[in-house]
Amino acid sequence: MFIEIKNAKKQYGTGEAAVYALDGVDLSLEKGKVYVILGPSGSGKSTLLNMIGGLDSLDSGELIIDGRNISGADKKALTAYRQEDVGFVFQFYNLIPDLSVEENIEVVADISKSPLDMDEVLKALDIEKYRKRFPKELSGGQQQRVAIGRAMIKNPKLLLCDELTGALDTKSSLAVLKFVEKINQSYGTTIIIITHNEAIADMADSVIKIRDGKIAKIKENPQKKAAAELEL
Amino acid sequence: MKLNRRYTRSIRSNLSFYVSASVLTMVGLLLFYLFYVAGTGIGKYGDDFFSRNHREDASFTTMQEISDDDLRELERKYGVQLEKERYVNTEEEDGKHVRVFRANTDIDLYELTEGAAPTADDEAVISAGYAENNDIHIGDRVTIGGKEYKVTGWFLRPDYLYMLENITDDYKNITTFFLASLTDDAFDKAFEQSSVSYKVIYGDPDNEKDFRLAVNEDYYTLSYLSADENTRITFVHEQADMFILAAWVMLVMLPFITVALISIIIGRKIRSEQKIIGTLSALGYRRSTLMLHYSLLAVIPGLAGGVLMAVAAELLSDWFGSLGLADYEPMQPEFKLPVLIALAGIIIPTVIYFIAALLKVKKLLKHDTVELLSGAVGTQSKTHRMLRDTKIKVRKKFAIRSVLGSPGRSFVVFLGVFLGAMIVSFSYIFIDSVKAVGSQAMNEFGTFKYEYILNTLQDDEPENADSVMVVAYENSDGKRFSLMGVDSDCKRWNLTDSGTGSRADIEDGWYMSSLCAKIFGVEAGDEFTFRSIASLEEYTVTIKGIIRNGYQNYIVSTRENASEITGLDTSLYNCVLTDESRSFDGDIVQEIITSDTFTNQMETMLDEMSGLVYALIIIGAIICIAALYVSINMLVSENANNISMLKVLGYDRKKIDKMVLNGNHLLLIPGLILGMLTGYGAMAWYCDAFVETEGLMIPVDFSVPHIILTICIVTLCYFVSLLLVRRKVEKVDMIESLKDNRD
Repeated sequence: MFIEIKNAKKQYGTGEAAVYALDGVDLSLEKGKVYVILGPSGSGKSTLLNMIGGLDSLDSGELIIDGRNISGADKKALTAYRQEDVGFVFQFYNLIPDLSVEENIEVVADISKSPLDMDEVLKALDIEKYRKRFPKELSGGQQQRVAIGRAMIKNPKLLLCDELTGALDTKSSLAVLKFVEKINQSYGTTIIIITHNEAIADMADSVIKIRDGKIAKIKENPQKKAAAELEL
Repeated sequence: MKLNRRYTRSIRSNLSFYVSASVLTMVGLLLFYLFYVAGTGIGKYGDDFFSRNHREDASFTTMQEISDDDLRELERKYGVQLEKERYVNTEEEDGKHVRVFRANTDIDLYELTEGAAPTADDEAVISAGYAENNDIHIGDRVTIGGKEYKVTGWFLRPDYLYMLENITDDYKNITTFFLASLTDDAFDKAFEQSSVSYKVIYGDPDNEKDFRLAVNEDYYTLSYLSADENTRITFVHEQADMFILAAWVMLVMLPFITVALISIIIGRKIRSEQKIIGTLSALGYRRSTLMLHYSLLAVIPGLAGGVLMAVAAELLSDWFGSLGLADYEPMQPEFKLPVLIALAGIIIPTVIYFIAALLKVKKLLKHDTVELLSGAVGTQSKTHRMLRDTKIKVRKKFAIRSVLGSPGRSFVVFLGVFLGAMIVSFSYIFIDSVKAVGSQAMNEFGTFKYEYILNTLQDDEPENADSVMVVAYENSDGKRFSLMGVDSDCKRWNLTDSGTGSRADIEDGWYMSSLCAKIFGVEAGDEFTFRSIASLEEYTVTIKGIIRNGYQNYIVSTRENASEITGLDTSLYNCVLTDESRSFDGDIVQEIITSDTFTNQMETMLDEMSGLVYALIIIGAIICIAALYVSINMLVSENANNISMLKVLGYDRKKIDKMVLNGNHLLLIPGLILGMLTGYGAMAWYCDAFVETEGLMIPVDFSVPHIILTICIVTLCYFVSLLLVRRKVEKVDMIESLKDNRD
């Protein structure tokens, strides 16, 4: 398995205010697949994504990614992991406002050992003509494509998308999802998308439902739809 | 929701800002207060001491002794108070020089600082500075006129608070010279003959001229020295003036800038809270409520800094004031921080911070609530396009844009470096400038190695030497200077006209030293009117040019021209300039000035002021660190989203530091240069004002080693601040910051 999560637990707060964001999660994910994690707000899906992305650490349990135990990794190892193996796309893009499109992508390429070709990524995401523009000069969908480009330039093994269409209109959402699908097909990148939008689940190889910090259901999707066919 | 609950939370979450801003406010104000309290303390002590012990208005000597009856008649006629002072100068076998007085009863009384007045013939009181310096205790014995006396006390005299053995000396002597006072009987028994001088206090200053004319007419005045020209007396108020002047220099340099810096930071901190302000505004909070809420938070560093300053000033003022009194007889001024002044120190910064916050919130609330909620007000960088088409690495572009794209933020970082560089360089420039007096003075004097001031007129022309006639004159305000007559072909005295760069044509008229020109406000071509100290007869000469000499206060021409004014024969002289050391017959040398004289005096002065100077450097370093800490801390807070994103993207600490913090290195060099230039300018201004108080034109100098040291200290402070702030960068939480990143 590419990702193995065993009895993962994460608690925020103490005493009566304590909340188990992850309460004994067990999960196995295969390489090169698209996974959609569904769940209501506060269910623990973002926490799970943060753990897999090396942004936060588990209180207990194991998290093994591509044979490497992330749960016990120190800060330096987690930084190296984020630098090389994982790409993030967030709901609100989180682009650096003072950097242009190509600079926002270059900021990652700059620290990556074997980055993809910048022009290739810009072209693939159809943002070549905006390369000199700054985030403020782009629409939400365009910004999200830049964010995907930034995540992809390092050619990560794993792409984590946190509500990537949450701030976009339907048309832009579809366009963005098509690019995500294209990345999965072109580079064989494992993709995990967390979303409230159940319609997106149709493009996943597997759909994971999470509730109260626990895996509620895992559903394989043998007849997954192409992104273009999604009814958002 | 109660807004009041936010006070403690806000203080807790911004504790480092409140602490460093309070410290900065305190230190920024502290130097002004310390100098001010020291200056006013010394000045007040001088006034009280002089009043208590009936300080003279002038002292004079006459060819003919004035009888007691005539003194009383003069007192009656001119409404003055007179005292005939009797004294003897002795030289002891151990090389000590003693000036023994018969105690005055009306003018220039001595005041005991320890012990009791002498009552027996073998008892004496001595000057306090010498006693302290030589570890002499009450009950010890000292030799005066070859006879031993038991020391019963130490005293201060108003006309000897600065212990110059000779009035023409430039620096105190408390090592080999002291004053002593015996009982009247003991004095009369010990010394059959004594010197006489007269002390006068004018009831009506308008009578001064008539009184002096009368004394000169009937008794022939040999010397006359007003208290305003007597450096033994004036140095006390000059020291006070110097401190008060330094206080104003500090006020301009520090509190204004630090308060402005903190006000800017407060404004930016409030701007960073615009989402909360927008939310509260959306919830229906009134503008006035929000303005008051944030303004009250902003007064914390003003109040805390002001109170800390008042406490620190109260605790440190005795120590600081005493640093400035190292040169003087052991005076005991009271260094008290006036309550009103202390309150001003608390209220003024508090009010400024309050207003700064009030205006910022008011300005923010002019924007739409939606705009505030988006957090976009005032965050648009105008320079983000900079370097867009260059091949520079993106990390460098980010660092450069971060600095240039946020001028307000960069300005406060610049101010931190600037403040540190200014204070540290000011301190070192003071040291270098004082040292330069020693090294440059002789160049401006001339090529001679020795200047012998004689106490009697000579007429036998010395060999291998230049002889000079020197006579003291004064202007109508009583300000003194020397009138010098030199040979036309005098080689050793500097006679270079600073205007033309060629040798002054002294046969054709009078030239003036640059110090004299500065003191009397005279320029080349001006007429200069002065008068004889004895007869008060007035003379007017035209000053042809200025000779660069910032250390001696004189006008110079040929002996013939001088003779026309002094009435003395052209062959007479009382000053000899030589290239080699030489000896003179008898005890006719009053003073020897060598190239070492100024150097030694300045080094001694520096030794005694070193505590003050190094205290200034330390305070400068603290200000630099505190100012930079609050500035860079703000930079990190404002960049929290970028920092968190860089962390998410896999940037390690070093790379993030380089991008976010190290861009500020760009500000280090201009901050250092402008800070040092301003320190230089402040010292030039200080030295300019120093001419009036000290009668010395200090050449402003900044040595290369001290420039390097200033750069090193400020750079070190800068990196210490960065080091402290790096912890803050590490603490930026990826997830929390990402949550906040809503566009």
